[in-house]
Amino acid sequence: MTDLSVANVEKWLGGNHILRGASFEASRGTIVALLGASGSGKTTLLRCIAGLEQPEGGRIEIGGNVVLDSARGVALPPEKRNIGLVFQSYALWPHRNVFDNVAYGLKLRGIEGQEARTRVMAILEKLGLGHLSERFPDQLSGGQQQRVAICRALVYEPRVLLMDEPLSNLDAKLREDARYWIRKLILELGICAIMVTHDQAEALAMADHVLLLQNGVIVQSGSPIEMYSQPATFYAADFLGANNVLRGKLTGACAIGGEGWSLDGVVRETRPLAVGEEARAVVRTERISIVSGPGENHLQMQVDACLYLGSAWEYRLSCGALSMKAHGADQLPPGPVWCAVPRDAVWIFGADGAA
Amino acid sequence: MSAAGGLAPRSEGQTYRVAIIAALVLVVMAPVGLIIYQSFLGAPFFDKTARLSLEAYDYVLTDPDFWIALRTTAIFAFGLVAVAVPLGAMLAFLLSRTDLVGKRWLEPVALVPMFLSSIVLAFGYTVAVGPSGFVSLWMKETFGFKPWSIYSLGGMILIGGLSHVPNVYLYVSSAMRSLPSDLEEAARAAGASIWRVSLDVTLPMVLPSLIFAAALNLLLGFETFGIPLVLGDPSGIVVLTTYIYKVNGIFGTPTYHVMAVVAVALILITLPLVYVQRLLLRNSRRYAAVGGKGARATPLRLGPAGQAIAWSVIALWLIISVVLPIGGITVRAFVDAWGEGVRLRDHLTLAHFAHVLDTPSLYRGIVNTLLLAVIGGAFAVAIYLAVGLAGHRNKGPSGALLDYMVLLPRALPGIIIGLAFFWLFLFVPFLTPLRPTLVSLFVAYTVVGLSYGLRIIQATLMQVAPELEESSRTTGASPMRTWRDTVIPIIRPGLVGAWSLIMIVFLREYATGVYLMGVGTEVVGTLMVSLLTSGSMDQIAALAFLSIIFTALGLGFALRLGARIHD
Repeated sequence: MTDLSVANVEKWLGGNHILRGASFEASRGTIVALLGASGSGKTTLLRCIAGLEQPEGGRIEIGGNVVLDSARGVALPPEKRNIGLVFQSYALWPHRNVFDNVAYGLKLRGIEGQEARTRVMAILEKLGLGHLSERFPDQLSGGQQQRVAICRALVYEPRVLLMDEPLSNLDAKLREDARYWIRKLILELGICAIMVTHDQAEALAMADHVLLLQNGVIVQSGSPIEMYSQPATFYAADFLGANNVLRGKLTGACAIGGEGWSLDGVVRETRPLAVGEEARAVVRTERISIVSGPGENHLQMQVDACLYLGSAWEYRLSCGALSMKAHGADQLPPGPVWCAVPRDAVWIFGADGAA
Repeated sequence: MSAAGGLAPRSEGQTYRVAIIAALVLVVMAPVGLIIYQSFLGAPFFDKTARLSLEAYDYVLTDPDFWIALRTTAIFAFGLVAVAVPLGAMLAFLLSRTDLVGKRWLEPVALVPMFLSSIVLAFGYTVAVGPSGFVSLWMKETFGFKPWSIYSLGGMILIGGLSHVPNVYLYVSSAMRSLPSDLEEAARAAGASIWRVSLDVTLPMVLPSLIFAAALNLLLGFETFGIPLVLGDPSGIVVLTTYIYKVNGIFGTPTYHVMAVVAVALILITLPLVYVQRLLLRNSRRYAAVGGKGARATPLRLGPAGQAIAWSVIALWLIISVVLPIGGITVRAFVDAWGEGVRLRDHLTLAHFAHVLDTPSLYRGIVNTLLLAVIGGAFAVAIYLAVGLAGHRNKGPSGALLDYMVLLPRALPGIIIGLAFFWLFLFVPFLTPLRPTLVSLFVAYTVVGLSYGLRIIQATLMQVAPELEESSRTTGASPMRTWRDTVIPIIRPGLVGAWSLIMIVFLREYATGVYLMGVGTEVVGTLMVSLLTSGSMDQIAALAFLSIIFTALGLGFALRLGARIHD
């Protein structure tokens, strides 16, 4: 069932076109991640859904209710949209303790007394906060504050849970845990969740569906696996993962090469490319391996440096004007090596600055 | 990314905003409109024969006294700025950027002149260094001559300038505090002495705040009433405010149209100044935003010689602007005779206070002043809060209108606001019964304190992070509910602080009541103005002393609450 439907949302701020017709749908029991670089419009889109920003155009439905329809002049204020929003800063009210922070949403819906108490304590217990209910926000750690913020947004069972960079204020270890338990919680509750993030690992790990935004446009959407393994544009290919970008000319229907090197690959560009045209190839660093000798799609390269990263070694390789990064388990001495670059790992795009 | 955007337009919050802003426009524009209307009449507006004419303009613009007063006002205002700005900037540098000994307790003391009304200060100077003041007599006794005269334009400028040093200090020091100290440390490391650092690094960085302070004090200079009244009047030096005050006496009949024309002339000077300040403030904020990133204030070391020089300058300033007037009033309030060869110790008395308490009008004045300050102050803060919320995160045209409405009273000296409300309470039938009550004074005081009070409230409101309000909205609370349940509880300490500061403003007010005050609505400050005419110095001294005590108590209360004098 579709719980959230966003269609053609347009937003201008000052003279800037922040959102250029964003559309997507999300249904119960799934997490949608809005992923993008800063300035891509992802937070603005979330705030438009919440009703905190007023888009100039578009239509938004939450749980079957039209909350925004610019054509009919409908724009419900945030409090009438039946949403829960978790802020990046958590925004816990400093003058209320944990219990009252969480209970406020129930109070506004006329639920008080024993029933409110039961529901608040139930969700606090679920997130392991039961013993902290009398504390004030400034007496909590960052991780605890974040969980209170999530309780507060969920306790009144909104149709849609919105999260604005929910993990960005946690330290690295807590963040990895939170990815797991937040996803588990949302799936258990079976609600529809939308999260904004600039962290690709977070989006891939937590979401069922990833929307990649660029300059206010959703450039690609799909499951995390599709997004990572089948990018549709150069931007999507380059934004996700750790990559090498190779610049050269199209030397065959499916090959790219430059001075002293040539690789077979797959063309992922949407428009037709002509042989001899300037082109770019994206190669994920983890797809390059060091091999013992020549072969199909093997390149002989020079090891310029070898950096120790703890879990692996990073190799800095070059071949004339071409330079690449790769990873491996062993330290390599400077000098020539052979690298294998599988054909399907070389994604060829046009060279135009469109992306 | 998440710039504060406009929320959905048709909310209950919007209706509230429109209602409050409309009420504000009415309360601010009505007196201004009445003054302008009156200035174009040939007679007082309640006179049946009054009709539109330029007679009053003709009279004022051809009156040489008006032009002299205008010239004197300009010289006074610019002179005041020339004295106050360099001293205030120096004081700010020493107290906020150096390791000056004792700066912690020095700051509240240095602010004292700002919290006293200029009528009290001016009276203090009269009894201390006036022609027969304590210090003047001692000078004559000891050295045989007295090298100064405070009843002169020079004396007025000096005293006005010294008493406005705190106003400069406040703005410049808050700019200096937000200045990261590594900029100064870099200059010291490069070999600059502390005085070079202050001139070459600190001063240029805080220039916008300095210019703002100069514009503000220029405005205050044009509006001053107490100092010219006490110090200028005896030797016939007239400025625009005292011209208005005196013009009734010249004609012997109400000359409202003439007063209105002078008021209009004054507004035409002050309004552009207020506008310039608004522009400067906007620019200086932009300027400050470049620097102030977690300013770490490591004070500059003055060294023994520097400490000695700095302290002699500050001590001299403190003696002249705090010790002299307050000491003079304190002595004067407790003695019944003084002069050459008189030992003050033999003439100590409480008779002046007994007399004040025995005189019904003076006693009522004390009670009324306290009522207005404490209870009126609380109501005024509630009103400022209502206005503040109407403008809070209001990016629309009504928010801009509110900004201008709040600034407008600033262009009006207290005496003119009082006059306009006096007329309004005469003119509007259903208000007439309120004129002889404290309500009329309260309304006028609230307008006088509007821009100051609102600035405090707005600063407090801005401390509430926008997400705290947004999270309340997304949780399901309406805008009004958000204000009631979230915003107001969070800023409660700030409101109490605002109350204490408004209390002080209302305690020291004297000019607003000059026309509004009547039998039963006496207030201490204005009583001093009217007693001045009859020359009852004993009572003035007692009232001035009480006024200082009240202000000190209010200030103590404010500091106790941690009120942010720096805004």
